[in-house]
Amino acid sequence: MELVTGYWPWWIGALALGGVTIGFTLLIGRPLGVSGSWSKVIGWREERKLAKNAAAIQPGSEAAHDAFLAATLAEFGEMGLADVDDAGDTNTKAPAGAAKAQTIPWTAHLVFLFCMFLGGFLATYLAGNFQLHFELSALHTRFAGGQWQSWAALLFGGMMVGFGTQMAGGCTSGHGLSGCSRLATASLIATMSFFGTAVAVSFFVEVLAR
Amino acid sequence: MKTGSFKFHVLYGLFGLLMGGTLARIGFADYDQVHRMFIFADMRLLFTFGGAVLFAGAVFAVLRGHLPYHNKTLQPGTVPGSMLFGAGWAICGACPSIVFVQLGQGRLPALATLLGILFGVVLHKWAHARFFRWDTGTCGV
Repeated sequence: MELVTGYWPWWIGALALGGVTIGFTLLIGRPLGVSGSWSKVIGWREERKLAKNAAAIQPGSEAAHDAFLAATLAEFGEMGLADVDDAGDTNTKAPAGAAKAQTIPWTAHLVFLFCMFLGGFLATYLAGNFQLHFELSALHTRFAGGQWQSWAALLFGGMMVGFGTQMAGGCTSGHGLSGCSRLATASLIATMSFFGTAVAVSFFVEVLAR
Repeated sequence: MKTGSFKFHVLYGLFGLLMGGTLARIGFADYDQVHRMFIFADMRLLFTFGGAVLFAGAVFAVLRGHLPYHNKTLQPGTVPGSMLFGAGWAICGACPSIVFVQLGQGRLPALATLLGILFGVVLHKWAHARFFRWDTGTCGV
């Protein structure tokens, strides 16, 4: 019964969360990362602009050739131009593997984020635990000093989460799950930094809530 | 599979469902549970997270060479950005994925968190274009 209504024991949670990370990486063909989805959805206009620019400077097109010539002239002067024609087509060849790297459209990221909301709802509803909560938790209200202060703290904390994850280039899923499981140095350092800070701030919260 | 196709959107959505459901059932969206993890009063969530990293790490070690390119690089924003995120996580009990799960569970105050994250990401986009301009190698290209 505990498995149906309560929180899962750690080993089931670990297998499920690890399984999602592995499945995502293998089937989607990208490391799992939610802050990247946020960035793509919010920057949907950039994607359109990039696609337009990319179409305008297709390798081999006349516009691209003229642009490269102008840039070379500006950077290196007439001397640089002497080498341009000798280089031939070698510069326009894409590096190995680049052809496979298709960009994931922002719409797919939006579907992903929305389905996370749906997944949270279904899992809670099916476990029979769904109800509307007007406070995050009694502890949070106590620490913030009241109901509306709690909402203000969430707004402020949310801004730190949004700004911080974009600045760090990843969050719990990107650095924590995906990066650490592949022993990426940046992710190990990032995870230690955010976890360490969260521990310190949580002890502070504990004091305030007393 | 073409990333713009309907099938790809369904597959991506399926992983959203699985992830949202899993996070809800392990209690990662419950402020009290997360807070108890951070003050080491309850080790269940810590073991869950650590276990998931170990499990995925073991599978990835076996599949080494067949995995997609990982673009996490150490850049000037890695440590300060992570510290800012860590502080925010402790304050609102949510990371960028958890906020959706909290909303799905009917936790209405998460609307404030959602709005905050939205502001934060937009603010970063502006600050990055204006001041930083370093490669953050952010997830999901």
